[in-house]
Amino acid sequence: MDKDQIIQMIRKNKPSLQPLPERLTKPEDNTDLKTIFCNNLKLVGAEVIRIDNEALVSSFISSHFPGAVDFSQPENWIGYQSANSKDKSEKLNTIILKGQFGVAENGAIWLDETNFPHRIIPFIAQNLVIKLSGENLVAGMDEAYHKIDITKTGFGVFISGPSKTADIEQVLVFGAHGPLKHTVLLID
Amino acid sequence: MMTHAEKAGIFLADVERADWHDQTLWVIRKKRDKAVGCVPEWEALRENASKIKEHVLSNLDTYLLQFEAEAVKNGVQVHWAVDAESFNRKIYSIINSYNAQKVVKSKSMLTEECGMNPFLEAKGIEVVDTDLGERIIQFRKEPPSHIVMPAIHLKREEIGELFHLKLGTEKGISDPQYLTAAAREHLRKKFLSAEVAITGVNFAVAETGTVVVCTNEGNADMGVQSAPVQIHCMGIEKILPRIEDLGIFIRLLARNATGQPISSYTSHYQKPKPGGEMHIIIVDNKRSEHLGNGAYLNSLKCIRCGACMNTCPVYRRSGGHSYNYVIPGPIGSILSPIYGVNKYKDLPFASSLCGSCANVCPVKIDIHRQLYSWRQEISEKKLLSASKRYGLKLAGKILANSRYYNFFGKKMRWALNHLPRKVLYHQINVWGIGREFPVAPAKSFNQWYRENHKKS
Repeated sequence: MDKDQIIQMIRKNKPSLQPLPERLTKPEDNTDLKTIFCNNLKLVGAEVIRIDNEALVSSFISSHFPGAVDFSQPENWIGYQSANSKDKSEKLNTIILKGQFGVAENGAIWLDETNFPHRIIPFIAQNLVIKLSGENLVAGMDEAYHKIDITKTGFGVFISGPSKTADIEQVLVFGAHGPLKHTVLLID
Repeated sequence: MMTHAEKAGIFLADVERADWHDQTLWVIRKKRDKAVGCVPEWEALRENASKIKEHVLSNLDTYLLQFEAEAVKNGVQVHWAVDAESFNRKIYSIINSYNAQKVVKSKSMLTEECGMNPFLEAKGIEVVDTDLGERIIQFRKEPPSHIVMPAIHLKREEIGELFHLKLGTEKGISDPQYLTAAAREHLRKKFLSAEVAITGVNFAVAETGTVVVCTNEGNADMGVQSAPVQIHCMGIEKILPRIEDLGIFIRLLARNATGQPISSYTSHYQKPKPGGEMHIIIVDNKRSEHLGNGAYLNSLKCIRCGACMNTCPVYRRSGGHSYNYVIPGPIGSILSPIYGVNKYKDLPFASSLCGSCANVCPVKIDIHRQLYSWRQEISEKKLLSASKRYGLKLAGKILANSRYYNFFGKKMRWALNHLPRKVLYHQINVWGIGREFPVAPAKSFNQWYRENHKKS
């Protein structure tokens, strides 16, 4: 009933049809997306580490993030997938996720639920490390949304930097609720 | 009910705090300018966003039905609420259907608008606001004073004292890092035990049935992903036609709101989580009526970035609590008449009409023009106070006639310099309560011009 009432009211009151604007096109600026991406990551409070090649990643992780749970390996998902695993997830210190692609203009990285065992994982861990291939960068949000097929997933998120707040006197504090630290391993 | 001017007077009595408030918001405005300056096509983005919103409003019924159909296909349960009362009843019945008692909420101005918290609390449901600023004002039993930074009016010492009382933090410690850590610990427990999570909605995409929520703290996701039931509440105007339109709006929102290139988390909720349930409540609450209000319908384009507040010289110097409407500042002053011109008749006057709000608006709402139009309407409806009404009538007569103008100009120049203060400043001269008359020059510009013109 509410629905009919709302739709009828809109039909009665809406203005005459206005056209959708043409899509904004801008000159492709793909010059050194990696540098722009890294600069923006620093701006949003993330740490970026550039690694020369894929082969060096696992040894880097084991030496720099000992004890980290690597969820880029699906065999590590066991025990974290059910709705009852929240308390276990809450104890997660550092986790590794694989990012699908990054956005140079703002440092955001796209992940969806195929990248973690449970949707709460990227938010509940104390520290988040995202592995990202340097090949997988787009210049801006426009390209980003053309790359995503949202209908293929139940949940997806752009993550840019650690969880933050400035609600007390505009003083920036990391780790409002989610990760205190956000590290990106960019593989060149 | 006190008027904006009266409440602003109280706010301004504490000069130091008023200055601090003004400066804090101006810093955010400057950060915004810097972020905006990094996007060469900014103006084209604004124009595009404005056009998309105008298109949506002109075809809103179709898009809402499309959005509903897609969401239902995704396994989402969609509800409609014609007004605040219906919304509160429906959200309660959803919560009640799960026998739930513990609810966490991430920021939503819509639930504030509908008075959801007090309604649910009266039914015995615990509603915990999880945005840090929201939690602070919830502890203080205050409304938000800003739509993006709800506790912007508070000093750290006040929050330190509050947390000492509510969360047992050490007395006298007001370090933001320490206080945030205490809130983090407190709220994690709430997230993990929540049975239902409620969020607002930044954007709802018609072609896919997706709802998008942006937060910096990650509180929307901590709640939504932890609780078995998620409920997203949206006004009918939150619709965007296509996923690709998000590219424009996400680029605009955070830059314009806080000067960040993007919020920390931009979450796209598409389907319920495995084993969970997802609801969307679409709320009208007089928006559809406002669609028929000609030029005023523009205010429905608003994406709630709060930039018009940060830039407004009146908001910065009067604080969000001086406005009697749930959304303060310039945009609130043009949205509030939807809910009663008479009730909020003072708000369109809480502006210098400088136009800065319209200049920073990411969807090009002509806020200052609408404020001006509302003033005229309020005046025509004879809702102005007698002193303002007759004062303006008299001024209109004098300003419209050069003989009157010259005559009264001469008398006033004499009066200002010769009459005692008591005669000039009194109850009828409301203008003079907060202002001083200038020193009157010896002659009018007209006289001065004639004399100088003759000489040359």
